[in-house]
Amino acid sequence: MRTRIFHSEGFRLSAIFAGAFVLSMLAMGVVVLLQTGQALRDQIVQSSRSDIAAIQRGYASEGLHEAREVVEQLMGAPGGSDFFLLQKGVTRIAGNLPTMSPQAGIVHFPATANHGEILGAGAWIAPDVYALSGSSVDRVHETQSHILRILLWLFAGSLLLAVLGGILVSRSFLRRTDAMARACRAIMDGDLRARIPVRGTRDELDRLAGTINEMLDRIAALMENIGQVTNDIAHDLRTPVTHLRQRLERAKTECIDSADYEHALDAAIEKTDEILTLFAALLRIVQIEGGSRRAAFAPVELNPLLHHMRDLFAPVAEAASHHLRIDAESRAAIRGDRALLVQLFSNLIENAIIHTPQGTRIAIVLALSQDRVIVTISDDGPGVPPEEHNKLFQRLYRREASRAHPGHGLGLAMVSAIADLHGAQATIDSRHSGFAIHVSFPITS
Amino acid sequence: MRLLLIEDDRETAGHVVHALQGQGHEVDTAHDGVDGLARARSGEYAALVVDRMLPGLDGLGLVKRLRSDGVRTPVLLLTTMSGLDDRVEGLEGGADDYLAKPFAVSELLARVNAITRRGALADSETTRLRIADLEMDLIRRTTSRGAKLVDLQPQEFRLLEFLLRNAGRVVTRTMLLENVWDLHFDPRTNIVETHVSRLRAKIDRGHAVELIHTVRGSGYILRAD
Repeated sequence: MRTRIFHSEGFRLSAIFAGAFVLSMLAMGVVVLLQTGQALRDQIVQSSRSDIAAIQRGYASEGLHEAREVVEQLMGAPGGSDFFLLQKGVTRIAGNLPTMSPQAGIVHFPATANHGEILGAGAWIAPDVYALSGSSVDRVHETQSHILRILLWLFAGSLLLAVLGGILVSRSFLRRTDAMARACRAIMDGDLRARIPVRGTRDELDRLAGTINEMLDRIAALMENIGQVTNDIAHDLRTPVTHLRQRLERAKTECIDSADYEHALDAAIEKTDEILTLFAALLRIVQIEGGSRRAAFAPVELNPLLHHMRDLFAPVAEAASHHLRIDAESRAAIRGDRALLVQLFSNLIENAIIHTPQGTRIAIVLALSQDRVIVTISDDGPGVPPEEHNKLFQRLYRREASRAHPGHGLGLAMVSAIADLHGAQATIDSRHSGFAIHVSFPITS
Repeated sequence: MRLLLIEDDRETAGHVVHALQGQGHEVDTAHDGVDGLARARSGEYAALVVDRMLPGLDGLGLVKRLRSDGVRTPVLLLTTMSGLDDRVEGLEGGADDYLAKPFAVSELLARVNAITRRGALADSETTRLRIADLEMDLIRRTTSRGAKLVDLQPQEFRLLEFLLRNAGRVVTRTMLLENVWDLHFDPRTNIVETHVSRLRAKIDRGHAVELIHTVRGSGYILRAD
């Protein structure tokens, strides 16, 4: 845990922020120190000048004596300049500095054995009277080092906070990624229902967790589907394979001449084909439900497609004494797979032809609503009781009444799979007096 | 004809070879893609029958390599039974036809015959098709039998055109479903029978010589004898 924290994304980010913070603190510190140094020096010179002005005023009013009084007063005042000198010619009148060769303007003495570095101002207040006031530059250095100490404390404090914050952030980050990893590992270990916890904060980790969960749901649905198909195949292939075996066994004992054998073999081949067709249809449904066909979608005009279906099935319906009518004049395009759409409509039309009595009227109708195009295949036959409607879309469900007709009970399951692939809904109209299915597609703009 | 079968399942291979030899063809066999490609490159075959799933180099890859090498030998690709995408992929990859496994032998023979003679009839340039006194004008979209014009619906026209282009050869129900109506699944109603019988009524009724013949267990053949 300890070293993983330092390797986490959260920590890396807080380290970057802390680094940037440290650099900006350093830059700020340097600027503050330089600026205060300059300001303090200016202040020393300023106060020295006003000292000299006061001494000059004293000299102007009452002469050298008064100037000396002023110097002594200033030397005693707390918080004022440190050093003074009043000299006439080469004689010191007052002050705590030795006489020197006078120097007007800003004066700057390096440190000596008696005093430190001095900064101040000097001026001739009379032709042979010179005054000087100055302060120790150590004051400036002391203030600067004081500021520096405060800055260092602040710096250390915020660095500590940044590191602690980084650790906290990365720990919460790690906790959540650990939860994700745990969920993934649980799924790898076989618990397909495990999901990544979502906190409901709608932050990026939550959104990521949500997306991964949706993906897992989809995978689980596909897996379940595959599992169901495996069961269906195991179950529903057993019956025809058993029948096949029985027939072959009976042929072996009962066939007398080659005509008998040929008949039995033809029947066996037919039965085998039936099994293979069932198998292929089941696999095809699974493949369609997998959704990979969507990649090959192209615009499909429904109007000509439905007329093609009419032309294809009208003679078949007529031969079976049914009437096939079409009412599809509106133009509507959807995105889809033409071959699969042909299969969808064929299944519905063939159902209507196969499962209704002679004389039944079948209609193909295309209608437009605001954003959907609805294709309805309906008939005025006996219909299906509403309680059976849901079961009709199940794989391999066959109504008692239709067992005599060709088919495997996969027609509507295929319709439903193809409709789903196209984002369409296939619904049975329970108000219709015969049997009617609406397939409602989203229109391509 | 000399044919090459590339199929890794030896039982299926034996079965197919037997059927093709029964039709008088000479058949070589390869059991993997690499060997198959080497033999196919020799170009001495009238047609290739290639399984989609092969060890070494898969069937589709093999066809693509052959085509990029400029080998034009017709190819019939054998695909798995639920392969929704196999058909499009196969045809785009350069195969001339595809057949889903498992298949009836009659279907395989009809397909092999169809692809080997496809080149003989210059599909795109032909504007008139004729057998005995039946003639189709593909430009004007008219059909006549003897001196009489026959009125055909568009789908009937396409059906007859396909039969005529394959005149003298068996065409199966599946070939008709795929090529005439673009149906790639097994319908539960007798679509083919119904349409052929309507076409027959228009073409053959009242004529001494029947042209459309049913081949039991296989399909149909357009023939003038």
